[in-house]
Amino acid sequence: MNEKISVDLKSLKFIFNKNKPYIFTIVIMLVSIMLFFQFVIPQFNTLLKVQKEARYASLKLGILKANLDVLTNTDEDVLDSQLKVLNLALPSNKDFIGILDSVYSTAQKTGVSLGSFSFRIGDISKSENNDNFPVVKLSAPINAGVTAISSFVETISRTVPLSEVLLIKVGNVSSMVNLSFYYKPLSASSYSQDARINPIAQKGLTLINQLREFENVPSISKSPIPVASSSAVQ
Amino acid sequence: MSANINLLLRTDEESLKRKKRIKILNFGAVASLIGVGLTSLIIFISIQVINPESIRREQEGVLRKMSQFQSRQTKLFVLSNRVENIDKILKIRKNFAKIMSGLLAKIPSNLSIDDFEVDDKSVIIAGQSKSLFTIGEFINNLTDMVREKQIIKSLTLNSLTLDEGRNAYQISIKSEL
Repeated sequence: MNEKISVDLKSLKFIFNKNKPYIFTIVIMLVSIMLFFQFVIPQFNTLLKVQKEARYASLKLGILKANLDVLTNTDEDVLDSQLKVLNLALPSNKDFIGILDSVYSTAQKTGVSLGSFSFRIGDISKSENNDNFPVVKLSAPINAGVTAISSFVETISRTVPLSEVLLIKVGNVSSMVNLSFYYKPLSASSYSQDARINPIAQKGLTLINQLREFENVPSISKSPIPVASSSAVQ
Repeated sequence: MSANINLLLRTDEESLKRKKRIKILNFGAVASLIGVGLTSLIIFISIQVINPESIRREQEGVLRKMSQFQSRQTKLFVLSNRVENIDKILKIRKNFAKIMSGLLAKIPSNLSIDDFEVDDKSVIIAGQSKSLFTIGEFINNLTDMVREKQIIKSLTLNSLTLDEGRNAYQISIKSEL
């Protein structure tokens, strides 16, 4: 069918005039569809985005308000005293004075005599911001029998800074106790402004009171704090 | 000529149908245009209503107030960090004092201890006594501890000898913790 169809101006005008009312309608519909895709859909996406942002912002605002509430109702003096006890128990760096004080005072209390001992500090250039607890190791030769050493171990486990016994060796001639003293540097990476600030929970208050009973805690920090605090989270 | 043929009437019917179709189409077109406009307007108003800017401004206000308590915030952060870590330490550290006192309580008074070695995995005790009955009591006590899963998990008798020079029985045991 390769016949040529000749359409002259007159015929075109006729077709146009015949379909004039439809053309206007179709143009309007096409414009509506175009407007829908060009404006309504992007607008709808913006609405979803704004909704999401608003939800996040109001959530954050809620947290910030709760945090402000906690901070306003916190007694800074109590906080200082609690922090003092906790820092004595777990210093943020190698507390040699605290360690020596702990070993000597324990020896004095339990009536054992100490030989010359040495620290094992390890690689001081290594970063310590990992999950494990870094320690200062100490080997203490002790001139005492098994009962006195048992008492020494018992006392030092209830002395700050916190330590752990690694080895106890009691012989007829000499005895030795290997200890490791814990410390933990603070990592700023876990700090976030958006994070919820919780008041010290019941468990934490109990722990602090428990630590106050430990040896080497200055008497000024020993006055116990009420375990049932109104601000405490259960 | 037949009287039933009415061409005019047919033309009117078609014209009416056409007009009706055009009317429906026009209505549809206008409705779609108004629909798009209204939807757009509703979405625009919703965006203006939901706009999180006011929440952000409120946030900034709260943050300004919080900055007055910066030191408290830092202290609370350190405090929770210390509590969490100390709690972990108290949970993971082995209670050697309890292990030692528990074992010493099971050693009969007539048994003198020559060697007592405890680490995180095992305990070695070596001692001597003039009485074989005391040695037996010591072994029985430790066996009971293993049976009751109290402090030690196993018991190995390393040696039991008679020192004729001292006239004493020497015993050495090893236990897994």
